[in-house]
Amino acid sequence: MNIAVCVCQVPDTASVIGFVDGIRDLARVNEVMNPYDEYALEEAVRIKEHFTGSVVTVFTIAPASAKEMLRKSLAMGADRAILFDAVLSDPYQTAVALSRALVTFYADTLPDLVFCGKQSTDFQSAQVPAMLAELLGIGAVTGICSLHASSEGLQVEREIEGGVESFDVHYPALFSTEKGLNIPRKTSIKSVMESRKKTIDLFPLSLDEASSVVMTGMTPLDRKKRCQFLSDEKELVRLLSEEHHLF
Amino acid sequence: MAMNKYLVFLEQRDGIVKKASIKLWNTFQKLAAMHDDIAVCGLFVGAADLHQLQVTLVGAGVVYYASSTGFSLYNPERYASLVADTFKREACSTLFFADTILSRELAPKLSVRLNAALLSGSPMFDAAGVDSGSLRSVYSGSALASFHSDRLPRIYTISSFPIIPANPSRTHIDFIPLQQPCSVNGEELFPLVRMMTMREGRGDVTEAGIIIAGGRGVGGADGFALLEQLAFLLGGVVGASRAAVDEGWRPHSEQIGQTGRTVAPALYLACGISGSLQHIAGIGSASLVVAINSDCHAPIFDVADYGIVGDASLVLQKLINAVQDFLKKK
Repeated sequence: MNIAVCVCQVPDTASVIGFVDGIRDLARVNEVMNPYDEYALEEAVRIKEHFTGSVVTVFTIAPASAKEMLRKSLAMGADRAILFDAVLSDPYQTAVALSRALVTFYADTLPDLVFCGKQSTDFQSAQVPAMLAELLGIGAVTGICSLHASSEGLQVEREIEGGVESFDVHYPALFSTEKGLNIPRKTSIKSVMESRKKTIDLFPLSLDEASSVVMTGMTPLDRKKRCQFLSDEKELVRLLSEEHHLF
Repeated sequence: MAMNKYLVFLEQRDGIVKKASIKLWNTFQKLAAMHDDIAVCGLFVGAADLHQLQVTLVGAGVVYYASSTGFSLYNPERYASLVADTFKREACSTLFFADTILSRELAPKLSVRLNAALLSGSPMFDAAGVDSGSLRSVYSGSALASFHSDRLPRIYTISSFPIIPANPSRTHIDFIPLQQPCSVNGEELFPLVRMMTMREGRGDVTEAGIIIAGGRGVGGADGFALLEQLAFLLGGVVGASRAAVDEGWRPHSEQIGQTGRTVAPALYLACGISGSLQHIAGIGSASLVVAINSDCHAPIFDVADYGIVGDASLVLQKLINAVQDFLKKK
């Protein structure tokens, strides 16, 4: 089975996004693999371990500095990693670039499975996976929290508001992964050493697709309120009812 | 004046129309009442309780519906075809969804199919009706980014709504059934929903008006009994912080924050939640925030309207008693 995993880099969630003169400053930010992509990669590697002869290939579209992240993906169990060197500006461009990357790599035979993280933790738009599936002409289930694969097909589940939706899925298909699907493995020193033997390829990618949505600005968000401290629960109940008419 | 025709997707789950979808339609009807150049039509897909729609939707226009059983459960291919066909047939300029799990999947799919710009998770633009941009929080809620698109058509998933004082002068909505074949060519190759299981007795945090949320300070799974009791008294639902979910005290479906759900209740009561940046990112749209925490320096108090410093369980017990007394007198 051929399994493709699409990953991207985001600022570490512990990083503080700074602003200098009102302009976003990413100088002090530590870039890591998008946490949702770790679930995607882990699930791909588990399927590979279950179906002998499977190959997991990791794709990223990023500056060459993202090689460190790809090294980690190899240590987690991917067989090969490919970096397409391009700078992207919106989710649609990203989806088009990924679809071209996959078609370039796999030629006429699409991979049996494509995994993506549900969303990136920086811009959180969650658009790329479903766009990519539509561009590739394959089915997709986004935000899955459970997956059972057999050689004939797959059964997946996702949480919806107030319940769970279960899907029957044929190959080929794309899934985006939600927290709770699995617990990504920690990389051992041995796996890191072994990953040094695997290859990371750099491919050029030409992009002529204009972006459809442009980010025009960013400002720090201050949610601070002035908290009124109370010492009496009865007073709180009175305020909620009489001042705010909540019950 | 160029006419803007908007298509509003009315989402149902288990035969119940989403509150957010109803709000979306009604807000647009108010806008249309103020602006001559806006027309609104709707699309409802699934087993239709037309009566529910008739009593909740205001304004004027047409709501198309496809209610054959083939549409009851979400089906990505069928739903996408139906929306795309309706959008094109009605020559719409913009497609609106409530920001839900379904729309976060369907909208990107449709944006490729319709060659439309997609703006996800936008607050609805203001009463002026300017619709080329979107403003939303990024980087775990630490920054606010503005997005713009020149491209038409456009698709929005709308996460919060402005208050518009106007009222539509009349309510006259035509409900027109769509004679749509419910299967789409080649759909057997695509994912098919086998079943949908709704949780009994537990409300959903994304639609709740009152949320009683607990974190590590609640002390354990048992401690949530008090939160459930208070939620029951106030007609609210229970939510949880990442810490409480990671401990296995509550299901992930109740998690609020960056890796959980984004919520917009009238009251958010945070018990024993310290208030990480990631948690606060999920409650930015809450109207009123009340925090209970034993640490008076906990960051949750920085974003709260009211605070009580103390052990979560002790304060909750007193609060429950106070609410019971209050409700008795009322």
